[in-house]
Amino acid sequence: MTYPGSDGGRVVPAYALTRGRTRSVGRDLPLETLVTATGPGLSRQSGLQAERRMIVEMCVGPMSVAEIAAHLRIPLGVARVLVSDLASGGYLTVHLPHQTGDERPGVAILERLLDGLRAR
Amino acid sequence: MDFGRADRLPTGGVPLGTPTAPNYPPAGYPAVPGAPGAGLQPPRRPAPIPVKTVIAGGFGVGKTTFVGAVSEIQPLTTEAVMTSLSEGIDDLSAVRGKTTTTVAMDFGRITVDDQLILYLFGTPGQSRFWFMWDDISRGSVGAVVLVDLRRIDDCFGPIDYFEDRRVPFVVAVNNFPGTDRFADADIRDALALRPDCPLLRMDARDARSCLATLILLVEHALARTTAA
Repeated sequence: MTYPGSDGGRVVPAYALTRGRTRSVGRDLPLETLVTATGPGLSRQSGLQAERRMIVEMCVGPMSVAEIAAHLRIPLGVARVLVSDLASGGYLTVHLPHQTGDERPGVAILERLLDGLRAR
Repeated sequence: MDFGRADRLPTGGVPLGTPTAPNYPPAGYPAVPGAPGAGLQPPRRPAPIPVKTVIAGGFGVGKTTFVGAVSEIQPLTTEAVMTSLSEGIDDLSAVRGKTTTTVAMDFGRITVDDQLILYLFGTPGQSRFWFMWDDISRGSVGAVVLVDLRRIDDCFGPIDYFEDRRVPFVVAVNNFPGTDRFADADIRDALALRPDCPLLRMDARDARSCLATLILLVEHALARTTAA
């Protein structure tokens, strides 16, 4: 397996991976959204195109959309669309932040975060 | 493989599913799909919850250093659309030794417990990148505004930005040489900080110091949430 860009250049432009879509799907996924591979996704991923397969393999443990973009060296917008596609196809489970829109994390999450950081 | 910076990715032959970073994958997750014992079942774990904080401040103030000091992974960089814009524009005069700028966003990760994963996003400080800040600060716990007292003007933009949007933030004065002679009261004055805005001295190279800064931020965010 070769990483995109690691051998001197990407053959297919990043936006071709999403067939030109960057706005219609997945636009609203926050960049910290966590993604995990599903069981069926892990057993079926070998038939996928390279970038999509790498995303499924990478998401054996929770990975953020931002990490996926960085590891595959693709723009965030492209990562959002690919993740969204793979989630629709049943390959991935998407774990959104608990709060939505402009809200901030609630007291329960903040207290847990504080406990976790203090314990480090 | 090393889940490090993209430019250090191996040239091939290493499957992506075999990371070797010490905290990756988190406890309870199989390292490789299909590995002995891993099976092909989804890990039976509670659904993970992402949270994030913003690490803001002027160019060269130590954002990347901060992220690198506390992150459990090598800081990652996402590609920004405006990657080359800042060449020749950033003022490097007071930042000796820093010859390149990372306009793209650096970020790191702390697995807080078996469910909660905290991301730290370092944001490009200049106002022309505020389009990225909206994406990063929406829904965040809050922000750390890093300050270099030798170039205090650089943090006015971030402070105004977070005040306008009511994002909880703390001001973290990075201990650059020669900056310890200023009194906290004078710094608060110069930055026109509100009385309830926490301010601390810290060292972005030191993991404990960065952790203390994050704890202060969460305490402040919690106080604001419970007071509201």
